[in-house]
Amino acid sequence: MSQTAQVSPVKHALDDVLEFHWMMDMLQTVDVGIVVLDREYNIHMWNDFMESHSGLNAADAKGQSLFSVNPSINAAWFAQKTKAVFDLNVRSFMTWEQRPYLFKFANYRPITGTEDFMYQNVSISPLTSATGAVDYISMMIYDTTDKAAAKKQLEALQVHVDEANELR
Amino acid sequence: MSLSVLICDDSLVARKQVAKCLPQDWDVSVHFAKQGEDAIKQLRDGKGQLLLLDLNMPVMDGYQTLEAIRNQHIDTIVVVISGDIQPEAHARVKALGAIDFIQKPVDAAMLQAVLQKHQVLQVTEVVDTNLPYAIRDCYQEITNIAMGQAGDHLARIMNVFVKLPIPNVNLIEVSELHMMLNDIEAHDRVSAVCQGFIGGGVSGEALCMLSDSSFGDVAKILNITQEIDDQLQLEVLMDAASILIGTCLTGIGQQLDLSLRQGQPIVLGQHRNVSELITANLTKWRRTLAIELSYGIEGYDVQCDLILLFTEDSMAIMNKKLAHLLEDEA
Repeated sequence: MSQTAQVSPVKHALDDVLEFHWMMDMLQTVDVGIVVLDREYNIHMWNDFMESHSGLNAADAKGQSLFSVNPSINAAWFAQKTKAVFDLNVRSFMTWEQRPYLFKFANYRPITGTEDFMYQNVSISPLTSATGAVDYISMMIYDTTDKAAAKKQLEALQVHVDEANELR
Repeated sequence: MSLSVLICDDSLVARKQVAKCLPQDWDVSVHFAKQGEDAIKQLRDGKGQLLLLDLNMPVMDGYQTLEAIRNQHIDTIVVVISGDIQPEAHARVKALGAIDFIQKPVDAAMLQAVLQKHQVLQVTEVVDTNLPYAIRDCYQEITNIAMGQAGDHLARIMNVFVKLPIPNVNLIEVSELHMMLNDIEAHDRVSAVCQGFIGGGVSGEALCMLSDSSFGDVAKILNITQEIDDQLQLEVLMDAASILIGTCLTGIGQQLDLSLRQGQPIVLGQHRNVSELITANLTKWRRTLAIELSYGIEGYDVQCDLILLFTEDSMAIMNKKLAHLLEDEA
């Protein structure tokens, strides 16, 4: 009896570590870009998706400012965009219709794809700490290239149809 | 609970005839009105979840009655029963919010068919079409509190004074959403963002509409100095929508002990008529709980409407949660 009681807490702890491990693995491999930032916009997480598409290693990205990693992001604009996330605890969104991309990545399908770059939807969520304060925010970057391409094609088609109708 | 049916016609014979045609096994309490004014009074007293309305009447005719129902946001389903067979009359009453038109003389089979077609028969067996007063009050209060918090946040983050709207809580039909949107449309052209939300068995969509004339001022408030082109308008709309929808849903969620996830917002269209925006999806649902908020910001020409639409299924869960709140208070 006493033996099992001594073993199980250790096994529990081990299970927890293993669980943490596969959870991290999942965050790393999910086909969505994940970036975690603090209030100074320093990078705390840069997952596999971000590594693969940007060519920048997580080890190199971590601790760096988002704006030095990606100089095309206007700091004032981004601060305005995320102010509500930090202060109001709400999510903020960018759609590809509004801004085709935040990170200029190449098309995931460089051979058969019609677009040069990856269109992105970005959602920024507050990450609440144990105390309830929002010290970190997470950015999720979704690839919406197919959607954008389809919409472009549809619009082109509509123009064709309109022109054909006018000629008749 | 039985459904209340109000029959409004100036002719005694017609009133009796319509009453006789109501489905036999239908659990309803029937009330009568001789003209529109009388009908409106009774509707306000909750005597007509379903209104069977004649068009030609003294004092206040059917068209005026429909208008009054719309203007006063009275929650009722209207079927017009009239001898006027002009297609124009038909179209006009539908535009004013009636769900159907039946030609006189009415017969039981026809009335039954119309009620069935619009699911008036089935629905009333399951849910009460009128929002009970206490529950409506509760939704309104919850939204008020959520808005109070949101307004405070907005005011602090943007350094403006937000004129807090009085939330308008209603159970609405598809046709009513149309009317509501037409009302909004009357003042300006608008751009809209819609965003789905879901959590704890509650789901719905938030619709945020900004009139085109507001963009300049909103951009000023959000510290955007560039010239406002279409692309930037979209951005302004998206930012304003995220903040409004997010704060409002968080506030409501907190009070109901729900965490509502928001999906990616979708742009419904820029510079388009609002009714065009909605027409495409009209057939998929029939009744929804709508919380309507109309924002203004002091010192700026900003007109922003936020409509939260909850699905019918969500209401059962929300009502249950609200019932707990009501009990706690008692």
